[in-house]
Amino acid sequence: MGTMGEELVRRMAAGDGDAFARFYDRYSPLVYPLILRIVRDRTDAADVLQDVFWETWRSATTYDPARGTPEAWVVTRARTRAIDRVRSVRRRSETFVAPLDEAIAAAPSETGGDAADRASDRSVVTGALGRLPGPQREVLELAYYGGLTQTEIAERIKQPLGTVKTRMRLGLERLREMMKR
Amino acid sequence: MSHETFDDQVAAYALDALDAGERAAFEAHLAGCTRCESTLRESREALAAVVLEGPAAVPPPDVKAALMRRVAGDATPVHRRTDTRRLWLRGVLVAAAAMVVGGFLTGMFVAARYEAELGRVARETSRLREDLARQEAALQTRVAAYQAIVDLLRDPATRVIAMRGAGPSPTAEGRVVWHETAGGQVLVAKLPPAPAGKAYEMWTIAGGKPTAAGVFQVDESGQAIHRVPPGRGPVDVFAITLEPAPGVPAPTGPIVLASTK
Repeated sequence: MGTMGEELVRRMAAGDGDAFARFYDRYSPLVYPLILRIVRDRTDAADVLQDVFWETWRSATTYDPARGTPEAWVVTRARTRAIDRVRSVRRRSETFVAPLDEAIAAAPSETGGDAADRASDRSVVTGALGRLPGPQREVLELAYYGGLTQTEIAERIKQPLGTVKTRMRLGLERLREMMKR
Repeated sequence: MSHETFDDQVAAYALDALDAGERAAFEAHLAGCTRCESTLRESREALAAVVLEGPAAVPPPDVKAALMRRVAGDATPVHRRTDTRRLWLRGVLVAAAAMVVGGFLTGMFVAARYEAELGRVARETSRLREDLARQEAALQTRVAAYQAIVDLLRDPATRVIAMRGAGPSPTAEGRVVWHETAGGQVLVAKLPPAPAGKAYEMWTIAGGKPTAAGVFQVDESGQAIHRVPPGRGPVDVFAITLEPAPGVPAPTGPIVLASTK
């Protein structure tokens, strides 16, 4: 017995376009705010969203439930593709890396304030991440949403690399604990 | 070397925060370490849970339209090619075996294929039967709702109030068939299916104060009929918001439909 998500991926692997439409309806509204928060541009976010879901359709045959839920499968992919996009844009423009405090504060409210922007704002303060001690949350957000490596984070927050590593490990341990409860 | 270094590395790896050199080294370790494998899996689940518990936002509709066009035009998806390759390989193997032991194995192969096919048909049949039972139950619920609406409309005190799409679903439509003492039914159309873990919640607003009137889901065509219980006095505005699935006591999500006062 699989979950609804697993069942949909199984049917997608068999070439069922309706199952894909339902898979998209189910997960795109959850994944879109994540992508938007990372790439911070509506056109780019829509592009990345399309790439991510196209990949899920093309690679549904290789999905293995033993290696994770469809939720983690699609979210991990979305986060990776969004970060790839941000990095390639940075490389192309060769400009100064946008201040990441901005990435963390998500879209500034004065530029729009529609549902998606507010969504990304709220997720900063509420939820499981919000229950982590500030320093742990900070390194997790800089890595996950900002796409920084641990060395870059250490430089940025002016802490020893070892401290950053430890905060990452403790923060993730705590998130895993919260999920089990 | 103790495993502690790897515990740090697996966390950074799950966050994609290892520098290139360290990442390659860690991946070599990961390939043979079940402990790190399971930590990585659980970390990714936890990070996905953080993302999924955040509020939802419906993406621009042209993304789905473009995807569905690509899917429809995808004449040779990966799975088809894989299947063909596998069948071809199997054909070669069977032929080789047949040369050695004659037609015996070929017979076995055909029988196995038949059995697999029979099993598939049986599974398909039971799936269809379940589908039918589900459809019948849905139909009965719908007939009961229609009956309730007709009964309401017989009463001259019943009003029909239009609701307009708002926020993430500007094209959505709704009608409330409302009777102050008997309660009512709300009919909606063109609402996108709620994302996983979310549901639509109905509100009656009086004197600026919203009162919850139950949660519901829409069907695949974007329609739903939902009963609004009576006993809430005069109502100024009817509204529907997108909320966490069990419903919330006061609205938190975006308004998707509202009546104009």
